[in-house]
Amino acid sequence: MTNYIGKAVKRVEDKRFITGKGRYTDDIVLPGMAYAYIVRSPYAHAKILKVDTSAAEAMDGVVKVYTGKDIAESGINGVPCGWQVNFKNGDTMKEPPHPLLVADKARYMGDAVAVVIAETREIARDAGDMIEVEYEELPAVANPKKATEAGAPLVHDDAPNNLCFDWELGNPKAEVDEAMSKAHHVTTLDIVNQRLVPNAVEPRSAIGHYEEASDKYTLYTTSQNPHLTRLLMCAFTLGIPEHKVRVVAPDVGGGFGSKIFHYTEEALMIWCSERLRRPVKWTADRSEAFMTDAHGRDHVTKAEMGFDQDGKIVGLRVKTYANIGAYISTFAPCVPTWLHGTLLQGLYTTPKIHVDVTAVFTHTVMVDAYRGAGRPEATYLLERLIDTAALEMKMDPAELRLKNFIPPFDGVKQPGYQTQVALQYDSGNYEGVLRRALEMVGYEKFRKEQAEARKQGKLLGIGFSTYIEACGIAPSAVVGALGARAGLYEVGQVRVQPTGKVSVYTGSHSHGQGHETTFAQVVADRLGIAMEDVEIIHGDSESVAFGMGTYGSRSIAVGGSAIMKSLDKIIEKGARIAAHKLEASEKDLEFAEGKWTVKGTDKSVGFGDVALTAYVPHNYPEGLEPGMDFSSFYDPANFTYPFGAHIAVVEVDKDTGKVTLKRFIAVDDVGNVINPMIVDGQIHGGLAQGIGQALFEGAVYDENAQLINGSYMDYTMPRADDLPSFELDRQVTPCPHNPLGVKGAGEAGTIGSTPAVVNAVMDALSPFGVKNLEMPLTPERVWRAMNS
Amino acid sequence: MQLTGTHKFNASANEIWSKLMDTETLARITPGVSRLEEIGQGQYRAVAEVKMGPVSGAFSGNLNVLEKQEPRSFILNIRQNSKIGNVAADVKIELKPVSGQETELYFDGKASLSGLLARTGQRVMSGVASTLSKQFFKALEEELGSHEGQNA
Repeated sequence: MTNYIGKAVKRVEDKRFITGKGRYTDDIVLPGMAYAYIVRSPYAHAKILKVDTSAAEAMDGVVKVYTGKDIAESGINGVPCGWQVNFKNGDTMKEPPHPLLVADKARYMGDAVAVVIAETREIARDAGDMIEVEYEELPAVANPKKATEAGAPLVHDDAPNNLCFDWELGNPKAEVDEAMSKAHHVTTLDIVNQRLVPNAVEPRSAIGHYEEASDKYTLYTTSQNPHLTRLLMCAFTLGIPEHKVRVVAPDVGGGFGSKIFHYTEEALMIWCSERLRRPVKWTADRSEAFMTDAHGRDHVTKAEMGFDQDGKIVGLRVKTYANIGAYISTFAPCVPTWLHGTLLQGLYTTPKIHVDVTAVFTHTVMVDAYRGAGRPEATYLLERLIDTAALEMKMDPAELRLKNFIPPFDGVKQPGYQTQVALQYDSGNYEGVLRRALEMVGYEKFRKEQAEARKQGKLLGIGFSTYIEACGIAPSAVVGALGARAGLYEVGQVRVQPTGKVSVYTGSHSHGQGHETTFAQVVADRLGIAMEDVEIIHGDSESVAFGMGTYGSRSIAVGGSAIMKSLDKIIEKGARIAAHKLEASEKDLEFAEGKWTVKGTDKSVGFGDVALTAYVPHNYPEGLEPGMDFSSFYDPANFTYPFGAHIAVVEVDKDTGKVTLKRFIAVDDVGNVINPMIVDGQIHGGLAQGIGQALFEGAVYDENAQLINGSYMDYTMPRADDLPSFELDRQVTPCPHNPLGVKGAGEAGTIGSTPAVVNAVMDALSPFGVKNLEMPLTPERVWRAMNS
Repeated sequence: MQLTGTHKFNASANEIWSKLMDTETLARITPGVSRLEEIGQGQYRAVAEVKMGPVSGAFSGNLNVLEKQEPRSFILNIRQNSKIGNVAADVKIELKPVSGQETELYFDGKASLSGLLARTGQRVMSGVASTLSKQFFKALEEELGSHEGQNA
């Protein structure tokens, strides 16, 4: 029946990408376009005493210079936050304004102070260097825990102790404290989930284009969700009418979360364009990307897990300080809370859980969602606790997991699993993925080899991670109750053209995911037509009715489901037309392989015929509207819950401390799979990023809150030769609540892999009594641990 | 960033001191300095061109000589700004007679960097500082007419 779903169809979009014909924001050149350069604070915290723009303004080719004063005088407060979390006592979170340009104070290294608009990029840059800003440097703080201590410099005067909010979730604290005090064994870890730089290959860019004749605004931007950017920018930042604004996110070269957010530069370009009556473009350079793209992670955590005598988990207590950065980015408040605290059940039957989160302002760039967003932080602490506990209790880490797993449930015959931390898991078979991974690694054999190797002085280690994530974000009513200031449904429109060709408009946005392929596979299969006859259109608010964009592994689960709803409507209407043409009753028709057939006969009519009839309705069912064009909103009933088991095998060089990743096994269950090649690609990329966090990456701020590794000379990204050939397998437990049975695969690799690698290194170092090290596990850190 | 080092000169502390306190000499021997003018007692305005790893820039700002204990020690307070970021440093310089005509110069201080300099130049800074100090001491030796000094 199906010709495309489940097949490794090659990505149709790759032809333009690999031949250099992609059209990215910076490729767009409009007539009369001017170029912007943004002057940024070199200090993490400084009073702005004076900005002298006269020399810059006098330069040939400079169109205009604006400063924070101009923005303030135009009455613009700044970019809004899209998610509200309240303090435990009910007070609203602290939400200080984030101005497009700052007038009085710079609050992180990179805060925008002035913008120069010139005839060329080079003139703008040179003129930027001519702007004299007089600063009074002030003390700054970068560490979220230190920022809450008495005497720490304040980021915002009206946020005492730098608190953005505090928050808790789970069972009452007293109950968890009691369970922990009665535990036979408690494992405690102090964990730093270090700050990561997203590093999308394409730096951010924005073009503002105001056209006086039509009084319309167009924003071209590197965005994962152009409609949401339009909504936030129109309704909150600039107060301009939404129907006069078009937002286009053309080809986008990766995002990993960092392009979800509505950034100040987007609104600034529109604001400048409106004043100057010309299109204005800004494109970040790599250094600017390091400094101003919202970073990820940055949690300082104390985590404790209690066990009974048999190794059953009796309680979990977590205290986290989460870095927010200098201002609240679009989704920042939900990452350490509803995407982190809610995942602390993991795959285990832990009966009592309490998580306490303090979200803290610091003099650093904003922290927001980065591939996995909250879920890697939760998985990291849980999986590190389990492996550490196994070591402490002299138990096998795989056995300890199997003892504590939630038993299999399909979400249909057996109900979903209600966690202690708000979520209800949809379906799962956790034991299945771990057993398969153990088989693949040859666990018993490995332990023998490891013991043998130790005798010869070789340090081999094995580490586990069994993770779960909440994806397919998200049921609007649920997230609304949790503070989201938007719904998280998706929109899918299917327009059948008169010739039977199909245009599909999706609110999902592809910036590497391959939607033009997978979505076309779904549509072609459902309609029984060739994939070549399906075009997927996304990223333009003028053609796509609405959309919430791509993040949280939501595209196929939510975006794909919206398209499925419209396809159902197409087939239903097609059946009425087919019945009319075949002079049969709709009830007697079946639709398969692109045609409606009268059951038990060879009488049939094809999809193309029906489509043409819909647009040339000369002989047509009475009362039926012509045309074949349906749009649907799909609001999911629940999150989806992909899960999996990852195993890392490492060798540590005793002399240098260098960690070599020898094998990596990943058995993931992401529900049904549309295109196995694309899912494997997502897993591969995710694993590389997760391994990058374990071994290489990490943004470092010095005591003056200066980012001191803001370039590829110092910020280490994982490279192909750092990674083994991944050994992947899949288990399929379909999602019971969406029409495709899919769960999403975009973040699985990142979420699962990090703790597996660190656990493996700790296993290798166990003869040295080393139990915990901060990531990244650089040769120096590992060597010092072995030699202290 | 920590700045420390020593250098032995074949000169007396008094001789070295007088060279270090002379604006014209300093302007001549300090690597990259194109202009140095005294703007007050122990206060100088300096303009310099310095390359640090992948970044280079024109710096301008103040140098202040504080806590002078002639001819034993002083603190050099440096505040230099540029388009690629700013440098702030306080360095204590001590002159200790070793024997006869030999004097050892010690310097010890801390520099903080900001902006592009901090983001991309930090890793190479200590190497650059060490190269610059060697160049400075060599030039100072030449001024003193002795060529037998040693870095340590």
